[in-house]
Amino acid sequence: MENVIQVSGLTKTYGDVTAVKEVSLSVRKGELFGLLGPNGSGKTTMIKCLTGQLKPTGGSIRVMGVDAVAEPVKVRSLVGITPEQETPPSFLTAEEYLHFVGHIRRIADIEGECRFWFDFLDFGDKREVLCKDLSRGTRQKLMVAQAFLHRPELVLIDEPLINLDPLMQRKIKDYLSSYVKGGGTVFISTHILEIAEEICTRLGIIHRGTLVREGTVGELRGASRHLEEVFLEAVSGEAGG
Amino acid sequence: MKPVGDRIPANRDPATAVPRESPAGNAKGESPGENRQAEGPVVTLSERVLKNPLFIAMMKEEWRVHSTMFGSAGFALFPLLILAFAAAGALLWPFFSDVLPPASAVALLHGGYLLAGMSVGAFGLFGREVMNRRFGQASLIAYSSRSLPVSEEAILTAFLLKDTVYYLFFWVFPFVAGLAVAAPWIGLPLPSVLRLLATLSLAFLLGLSLVFLLSTVYAHSPRALLALFIVAAVGAAVSVRSLGKGPAALLPPLGLYYQPSALLLAETLLLIVVPCALSVRFMKVEYREETRRFPRTLDGLAARLAWLPDPHLVAKDALDLSRSEGGAGKVVFSFLFPVMFIWIALFVLHRFIPMISPLMAFAILLGVVSSTIYNWVTEFDLFASYAFLPVGVGTVIRGKLESYGLLNLVSLAILVAAGLGTGQADLLFPAVLTFASLSFYAVAVTVYVGGLSPSVMLYNAKVYLPYLGLIVPALLALLFLSLPNPWFALASLALVPAGAFVLGKAFAKWGATEQTGF
Repeated sequence: MENVIQVSGLTKTYGDVTAVKEVSLSVRKGELFGLLGPNGSGKTTMIKCLTGQLKPTGGSIRVMGVDAVAEPVKVRSLVGITPEQETPPSFLTAEEYLHFVGHIRRIADIEGECRFWFDFLDFGDKREVLCKDLSRGTRQKLMVAQAFLHRPELVLIDEPLINLDPLMQRKIKDYLSSYVKGGGTVFISTHILEIAEEICTRLGIIHRGTLVREGTVGELRGASRHLEEVFLEAVSGEAGG
Repeated sequence: MKPVGDRIPANRDPATAVPRESPAGNAKGESPGENRQAEGPVVTLSERVLKNPLFIAMMKEEWRVHSTMFGSAGFALFPLLILAFAAAGALLWPFFSDVLPPASAVALLHGGYLLAGMSVGAFGLFGREVMNRRFGQASLIAYSSRSLPVSEEAILTAFLLKDTVYYLFFWVFPFVAGLAVAAPWIGLPLPSVLRLLATLSLAFLLGLSLVFLLSTVYAHSPRALLALFIVAAVGAAVSVRSLGKGPAALLPPLGLYYQPSALLLAETLLLIVVPCALSVRFMKVEYREETRRFPRTLDGLAARLAWLPDPHLVAKDALDLSRSEGGAGKVVFSFLFPVMFIWIALFVLHRFIPMISPLMAFAILLGVVSSTIYNWVTEFDLFASYAFLPVGVGTVIRGKLESYGLLNLVSLAILVAAGLGTGQADLLFPAVLTFASLSFYAVAVTVYVGGLSPSVMLYNAKVYLPYLGLIVPALLALLFLSLPNPWFALASLALVPAGAFVLGKAFAKWGATEQTGF
């Protein structure tokens, strides 16, 4: 099966701080890959490097066959991204924002795509509300919608379900699973183990910038262990440990 | 594995926790430190202020906000830059004294510090939005009266004191120190320097307190604010035209500089203290919790701008400006007021130096000042909002420049109106060309040094110095060229290729710069 993400020796430093250290991994088409790690372990930096938002200090990244360092904008035109922190622009309404993204991504049927996502995510009368006046959860839903708006083959989501209520979490999890079954690929980063255990087909655990475990959920858990035990063991050692 | 309870230090055990006094004050809403003082020795007012935890925390916060944005060294250098700038300006002043007589220079300084105070105060009006755009959901102490057991009045009082102390040290004192350095060489007596220290501080505080009052009025009723402006403008006009009073009468600190008296000092202090007190008393803390709704406007607006390369980016900028707090009013504060001030000052100067062409000098200065419009179109946006979309920094900057170009038509209209209104239509052609070329060059330099965050970056001395180095020589050269013959200012056309070169460099620079933050 073809690799839609191919990372080799990725290193990213900020001054004296090494956020990601010589990470190599690949994600195959049709996988729902989960990058697990404690807060500050390098997950967000990884996603930003994969999508050309940050330039790596070392190593190579190919996403959908494109060099993410040399052609970051092209990578971002191919994939969908839901960032963890960035929120939609304050002074556009939810509806205007999705249309704005649709125009930037040159989507043919913007009306249709927007209608689907607003209905699917139960926006109701929130479409005409300024983004800054939306609740955090609603803003998160909007960011999820903008990532899928152009029907990309690969979506990268940083902390996908944070701020969402249980009903919406269920809906998104189901959507991600069906999206992958339909041939799409999802790369999520999270520190919520239950999400990873429930929906991911393969996992990587990152700790202090180093990928310390990688495999399917079954491979990581072994015969009778909980993922939590594996995770705590993986991140309790020294750097890289 | 240890049970979770074992990890709780004894003094953090929720079961044994006792209420402690918050650093901000106590649960009764008394000012911080108020309850302690009842039992302790008598303390002076200054001790009470300087030891106030809320005040201290706000001072630290102000420093950290700025040093986070500009770097500690860059920010710490800014007062030194002001000092050096003031000293250099004062040392060069004898060469310009024909152009800028002492009375005009003193009036300009007081007017300038009044505006500086107003701009610092205005940040209180719009600061929350700006901070949120810069830092995500920013949480400053000033906005935290709901989570701290302290009254909103106490917070605003501490905020006013913080602004007063912080910006006097940051903006006013370094400037006067610079004048003091130059004083022996330009024959400025020490008492005059000391008087300037007092009166410029008062002018700054007057601006600060007026804007606090205006923001309070605005919070209650934007219409009342408009009415207040009209009354003030009519009052000023009547004062100048009918009563024959000059700028000193309109600006008491200026009057105090020329005629120090206890009465005028008291009057000035009242003008500072009363608006502040009224602001604190009638403050209306607006936690904008109402949900603002708008019909879809973006696409219609973009359709009308379809002739531009990036209509949706420009339409978004327009909505950002019109829907953010203050609406068009904030542009009036930051752009039209200084422009009006420059226009009036030029006519005052023209009385002393008839060889100055007010329209051409205005066109030149307007060319530089209008580049601040670019600051506004970048103010409520940051690249992080686009970083996950298929657009590069260059595209976003291009969109901002398109917005700037459209908004700058207002500057052009002002210039044309000024030319036609004062019977200088014969000079409109060179004035418009000069304005356009200098405006293009100035915004190119602004983009080069500040990228998508010019209003933030220009506070960094390391950025501001190259900005001055690129702008001031061009500005002065054109002003001097225009003195013998206004048409000579058409030399500004040489700035067009220079601006194009700088802009090319700017796109390359910011395209290669990692946009990690703002």
